[in-house]
Amino acid sequence: MKLPKKQIKIERPKKRGPGPNDPEPGRKVRFEATIHAGRKARIADLMNHLGIDRVPDPKGRVRALLTADECVGLLDQGFEIRLYHAHAVRPLDPSLIETDESVRLWLDEERRGIDRSTESKGSTGREGN
Amino acid sequence: MYRTVAQLDSVMEFLAAGFPQLCTRVELPNRSIEGRRIYALRIAADRGSNRRGVLVVGGMHARELMNPDAIVELQLDLVLRYLNGTGLVLGGRAWSALDIKLMIETLDIWMLPCANPDGREYVLNSDDLWRKNRRDNPGTPCDGVDVNRNLDIVWGVTTSSASCNPCAETFVGPAAFSEPESKNVKYLCDTNQIDVFLDVHSYSEFVLYPWGHSPTQTTDPSQRFTNLATGTCLPLNPAGHQEYMPQRDQLRFQTVARRIVDDIRAVRGRNYKPGTVFDTVYATTGTSSDYVYSRHISNPALGKTYGFAFETGPFDQNTANSFHPTDPTAIKRDTKAGILSLIQQSICAIEFIGAMSVSRSADVQVFRDVRDEFLATTQAGRGWISLFERIQRPVLGAVLADESLSRDAISLLERARELLENEEAIASTRDVERGLAFLDSLAERETLAGQRRDLATVRKQLKKADGKSVRAILKDFLRPRRRRVRKRTR
Repeated sequence: MKLPKKQIKIERPKKRGPGPNDPEPGRKVRFEATIHAGRKARIADLMNHLGIDRVPDPKGRVRALLTADECVGLLDQGFEIRLYHAHAVRPLDPSLIETDESVRLWLDEERRGIDRSTESKGSTGREGN
Repeated sequence: MYRTVAQLDSVMEFLAAGFPQLCTRVELPNRSIEGRRIYALRIAADRGSNRRGVLVVGGMHARELMNPDAIVELQLDLVLRYLNGTGLVLGGRAWSALDIKLMIETLDIWMLPCANPDGREYVLNSDDLWRKNRRDNPGTPCDGVDVNRNLDIVWGVTTSSASCNPCAETFVGPAAFSEPESKNVKYLCDTNQIDVFLDVHSYSEFVLYPWGHSPTQTTDPSQRFTNLATGTCLPLNPAGHQEYMPQRDQLRFQTVARRIVDDIRAVRGRNYKPGTVFDTVYATTGTSSDYVYSRHISNPALGKTYGFAFETGPFDQNTANSFHPTDPTAIKRDTKAGILSLIQQSICAIEFIGAMSVSRSADVQVFRDVRDEFLATTQAGRGWISLFERIQRPVLGAVLADESLSRDAISLLERARELLENEEAIASTRDVERGLAFLDSLAERETLAGQRRDLATVRKQLKKADGKSVRAILKDFLRPRRRRVRKRTR
């Protein structure tokens, strides 16, 4: 179903500091944080912060990845924020990505694992295709 | 180590090219936002049509990198083990060669390992915590729609994890199924018989099932999502809504999830937690596991699909390391065990034998009715369902391996269907004798040695059926079985 145009609320975030969608890759960062009720704000009020990138927390707390803007916004609203990590916005560590060569070798190894007899069963199927 | 989108595809290409009798690679009709082709793989040994279908999806959320890798590795494991006639061992849990054979010969196993390829490439090359697809949201500096908030189930109703703000990580998109990546999931469900669905996510070690948008209740069928407003960009209205689910479906979800948890635990002791999305994670709308299960309610002409979701792997030091740990090998093993457990539980002997029957192929609704409307209503009846589920896989293995047994099974099933269609029909001595002969023949098989006690229980019950009406026979099934009490000797 299409939303009526009026109901699509598109807000331009106020530019207060670097955010994950900002164009300068070297300076972007996300903060991993848990968010807690402060003097003025209840956790239930977090429902109003629908934009935050909530991630699972092992202790059931509200854990999120926040931009600097979002941290400021939450603090302004009276929430308490505990920061645990600053994650620079960057590509995955290249050492964690398989090379094409290693994938090819892996598939070759798997192919060798098939008995000669069953391989011939495979070629029967190929012929039939 | 993690594979690129092209490398993931190369595994499916390898399987489809090398083993076309088992594997079909299908290009899905909707290319990604950036124009990438998206592929699914069907694994099935060709033995008739109308088979039960399972669909496993991974990689909807880009940064959850482990699952697409686990899925393609499992594709390879299944096909190679099947061809070699060997079993699959994952830590402390083993699946026998027969288990693998039954999965591949009785089911259509569909896998869409990387539903959001643009997102994955973006994680690998630009931003390792990116979650959404790569949609350009016009008029904003923000990109991306959360693919797993974009399906048509209470879509556009906001929660703490579903937002109408295009800059949010959980942006639901401008319309339900606005995104090619979510449309592909719908396409697979529309064009194939999908009885069981799994969407694999990370992290938290959960095995999840519907509902996600509200608490689940089993007593008030009038509380249905079909009565809720969608696309409002407001929280659920009414706020206290509790979505209905028939008790038999709830029991089914709970039972299957519990077995998955047991199978994962057997690998290396990890304790996944089963539960509904709403109770276990948080309120969500527009998600895949809810959508697939909702389809038969929105449109009663469609078959029922049981929708599950996993959250694989634990929290490990920080979010980045939890989404893509340096060494995901052990977590992938748990994931593969969970997927295999679900696939194995999707096998239904009666449906498969029914589909082999020439006269009235796949017409097994009467058996489903007996199970769901009758046996599932009492503890004794549920005991019979459990017994049947225990013995059905080895029985099916014996039936597949022996043509004469297979003919007997088909003919008995047809006779049982005839009887069940008329409650006043009488089971004759000949009917009972044929059933007993079939059970005796099964009990002689080595592969059914572990099931002899259950077969004896069925035998005893069948003997009582001679000359009785179907109504009386069914009533007998609801009487509590007397358990033999063994005296302990010191």
